[in-house]
Amino acid sequence: MPPFENLPTDLVLQGIFLLVAGLIVVAAVAVVTLRNIFHSALALILCFSAVAGLYILLEAPFVAAVQVLIYVGAISVLILFAVMLTERVMDPKMGARNEQWWLGLLLTAIAATGLGAIVGFAPWPLSKAPIINDQITALGKEFLTTYVLPFEVASLLLLMALLGAIIIAREKEGG
Amino acid sequence: MPTTQELIAISPEIILALWALSVMFLDLLIAQSRKSILAYWSLLGLLLAGGAEFSLWGREEILFQGAFVQDNLSLFLDLVLLLATGLSLLMAKGYIKDLEMEHGEYYTLTLFATLGGMLMAGAGDLLIVFLGLEVLSLSLYVLSGFRRTEPMAQEASLKYFLLGAFASGFLLYGIALVFGSTGTTLLGGIAVAITEGGLLGDPLLLLGLGLLGVGLSFKVALVPFHMWTPDVYEGAPTPVAGYMSVVAKAAGFAAALRIFLSAFLQLAGDWTLLLSLLALLTMSGGNIIALAQSNMKRLLAYSSIAHAGYILLGVIALNSWGLSSVLFYLAAYGFMNLGAFAVIVALRDGEREYLALNDYAGLGSRHPLLALSMAIFMLSLAGVPPTAGFLAKFYIFGAAVQAGYGWLAILAVLNSVLAAFYYLRVIVIMYMREPAGQVAKMTHSPALALAIFLAVIGTVQLGLFPAAVVELAQASLFPFLGS
Repeated sequence: MPPFENLPTDLVLQGIFLLVAGLIVVAAVAVVTLRNIFHSALALILCFSAVAGLYILLEAPFVAAVQVLIYVGAISVLILFAVMLTERVMDPKMGARNEQWWLGLLLTAIAATGLGAIVGFAPWPLSKAPIINDQITALGKEFLTTYVLPFEVASLLLLMALLGAIIIAREKEGG
Repeated sequence: MPTTQELIAISPEIILALWALSVMFLDLLIAQSRKSILAYWSLLGLLLAGGAEFSLWGREEILFQGAFVQDNLSLFLDLVLLLATGLSLLMAKGYIKDLEMEHGEYYTLTLFATLGGMLMAGAGDLLIVFLGLEVLSLSLYVLSGFRRTEPMAQEASLKYFLLGAFASGFLLYGIALVFGSTGTTLLGGIAVAITEGGLLGDPLLLLGLGLLGVGLSFKVALVPFHMWTPDVYEGAPTPVAGYMSVVAKAAGFAAALRIFLSAFLQLAGDWTLLLSLLALLTMSGGNIIALAQSNMKRLLAYSSIAHAGYILLGVIALNSWGLSSVLFYLAAYGFMNLGAFAVIVALRDGEREYLALNDYAGLGSRHPLLALSMAIFMLSLAGVPPTAGFLAKFYIFGAAVQAGYGWLAILAVLNSVLAAFYYLRVIVIMYMREPAGQVAKMTHSPALALAIFLAVIGTVQLGLFPAAVVELAQASLFPFLGS
């Protein structure tokens, strides 16, 4: 008999949520406070992964998978490459803050309190729609029917980003 | 699946997208020495898209489950965007060749940027607002750094990218909060949810609206979100600076009109107060800093900030007069501002640009036609009759007075007087000061001359015979305000 058999599911879910949410906060704080930027990048990966856990708790496994693929996979690797290819950026003497850190801290504190108060007191409406079992099929259908315009515009946007990256990174003029 | 009717109704956007792609492919086939063919090819695309707009006039099509609206309002704004794009391409043709950055991508990105603006003008969904804005901004980030080897251009591009990404973050957060509060991103749906859910004082909704406002303010460069503007205009290629001063602003205001009037009209009491404060800061800030500028591009950057402040008055007035005068102002501003930038483009010697105000000394006697055009644009920007700028200001201030914002209109008039000082100073320098040292040369190019000619015609035409465009602007509001 598994040891947690008698615990109510709600309590278990709450526990997991607190664990995941705590992990996100700790990792996020680590990203901005760690001295070595490489360590910051690693903390960011942890933060991204924990967010994926949040999506699983919300019963959105597809979004969680996308989060892992794109954020944990692609974006983090990109950041690590950028860190490794930049000169001197790994130097611990570089320092991640400048003399305006207190101003930033002040503004952040004000914004965080304000946002926290509003988000905490706001009556969040819950969607009454039933949870769909076959999420990926439903998403695919919606993308090509209801959301066909945003979908197509997003693909143009990606094409442009590609084009822009090529222009900026081109070897030499006229090449 | 989109129906045939939907595809027809959105055909201007489709034409432009296909055209941008065709430029990319043609670029591969055309030799470097004949790249200017692409400029004409792009202009043809703009003409076709414009023609499609005209054939759609008078309809109100709600497409893709409300995500996109093709009504007279979007068609009018689209035409302003297409016209501004055409003028900037005429300016760019010789410029990018002389400055050795004649790549087909320049035209592709310009067309894509315009497409982004057109999507914003017709957006019926916050998602489309965001995507349109990103299409527009992403092209502009790259275009402003198109002279990659220039440190100034790199700085401009990077600054614009970082601040633009920051602003997009605000906008996206705002969208998320609005969605959290109302459960929809459709502009019409938000209005319905506010009424039905009794969300008038909902903190979440208000915060979302505020963040949306901040995001858009960054994009149209309202004070205090304007810091990037002068640096970006200065570092970007001059035709691009002219292009973004008009297209990015027109598209930003288009999106603001859609968002504030279709979705948040019931909260008007909250946002008009904030916007009038922003308008005041923007007008005064832009004009006062512009007084101290000695670089032509920076001067026009601050002047464009001030103009955004004036335009905001029409949005705040919130009556049909005010909104049609916003549209008229955008059209007039497009001609006069692009005209002024075209003169800057003309005043160069191959690669060397003459950007200092003192370089304009003696222009009146050396290049009388160019000086005359610049004088017309400056008078129009200052708001001196009988130019387009005067009537545009007249309409918009009148609308503000009618709506009970007399104090704001008075401050705006005082601001215009202040602004006249630095516009007229350019004219004084051109006609009354002798050049000291090196004399600024002028580059002759038929396309550029055509651009300046068209801008002069537009500026004078809208000033002397505004009736046709005013009627068009009023007709553009009909289905939009009626719904």
